[in-house]
Amino acid sequence: MSTPSKELLLEIKQMIMDTLGINDLAIEDIDDEKPLFGGDNALTLDSVDAIEIVMAIQRNYGVRITDQHIAREVVRSVNSIAQFITENRPG
Amino acid sequence: MIIPSFTHKMAAHCESGTITSLLNHAGLEISEPLVFGISSGIFFGYFHKMKSFTFPTFIVRNKPGQMRKNIEKRLGIRFSTYEFEDAAKGMAMLDHLLGQNIPTACQVDFFYMDYVPSWERVHINVHFMIVAGKEGNKYLISDVYFPQMVQLEAASLEKGRFAGGSMSPHGFLFHPNTIPPSIDYESAIKKGIKKACFNMLQIPIPFLGIKGMRLFAKRIVEWPKFARDTEHLSHEIMKINILLEDQGTGGAGFRFMYATFLQQAAEIIHQPQLKELSKQLMIIGDGWREISLFSARIGKNRDLGPDKLRKLSELIHDRADVEENFFRNLSKAIN
Repeated sequence: MSTPSKELLLEIKQMIMDTLGINDLAIEDIDDEKPLFGGDNALTLDSVDAIEIVMAIQRNYGVRITDQHIAREVVRSVNSIAQFITENRPG
Repeated sequence: MIIPSFTHKMAAHCESGTITSLLNHAGLEISEPLVFGISSGIFFGYFHKMKSFTFPTFIVRNKPGQMRKNIEKRLGIRFSTYEFEDAAKGMAMLDHLLGQNIPTACQVDFFYMDYVPSWERVHINVHFMIVAGKEGNKYLISDVYFPQMVQLEAASLEKGRFAGGSMSPHGFLFHPNTIPPSIDYESAIKKGIKKACFNMLQIPIPFLGIKGMRLFAKRIVEWPKFARDTEHLSHEIMKINILLEDQGTGGAGFRFMYATFLQQAAEIIHQPQLKELSKQLMIIGDGWREISLFSARIGKNRDLGPDKLRKLSELIHDRADVEENFFRNLSKAIN
């Protein structure tokens, strides 16, 4: 299993904030491992936000998440998104 | 007791995944997208006013049960099927089959599947899962939506198998009985694709196939007439996202799964054009996902004015145009 870089983790947090129009949080407020949905992360997202993030991942990293079961696992946390991108992005 | 050598696998959709899992257990190596494609699973239908629906709705796959019937016909496999009026007899037959080490698919009302979190459970009488063993009063369930096998109380399974209402399961069970020693995949794939093209392009019913998609696009602007209030309308608009993405469709209303089928079919029947069409369908699927997101967004924000519904209508019209072109090209490629 390859480890995502710190740069990628920061990029993902920025992507989430840009995609969802979040401007009342700083990047460092978002925890890498805490759940993005229904947890105690600074960000608490819903299912519509999840689709937005899935599509942003495809736009920014060229990785299409087709299946909703996989999508649920991928968008669980910043770390899980980074892991998925690291393992699946082309080139 | 768990049936020896049965391997639980996750899958995108309950019916195609259950069939795939049972065929794999019976020794036939076949993927879920191949099962879906050979059985002409891809479809579209729009129901504006039907007695059985309280609100207009749509479907993106063929009718429940049809995948198994088509697979049977096209691959020459024989399934044993059972239906019951009497619940006790239905449960006894399931125990009998498990006693013979036969993992068996059940049709159930999803609501009674206690292993599913309560907030996700809804009454759908056409959920399929596999019973692969029994320990005491609990059945071991292989449900393709779950990462591991789960347990279910006998009473809950019985309620699910014998639930009433529309498309009631009547305790329906099935398992593969005979698999032919050799299978003509080329013929099965071509027949599956031809039937899918027929269903999408030529079926002479105005609310099915591409015609149904256009009807959906035209009539969605009338949905406010059917809604009690804004809350109701937003709920129904957000359901577009659920039907396309969140009910075991493999994403984008089964378009991604059918694209994977075409990619695998291209290898099997040595037709590279199908690979190109697979890429096109992935992009078409992205467009359905845009519709999904747009619906979820305007529903969530209660932003449901006529301009937004017209925009949704345009997006659906656009999918109808590109899918019509896609299925015409697919039909040419296979003939």
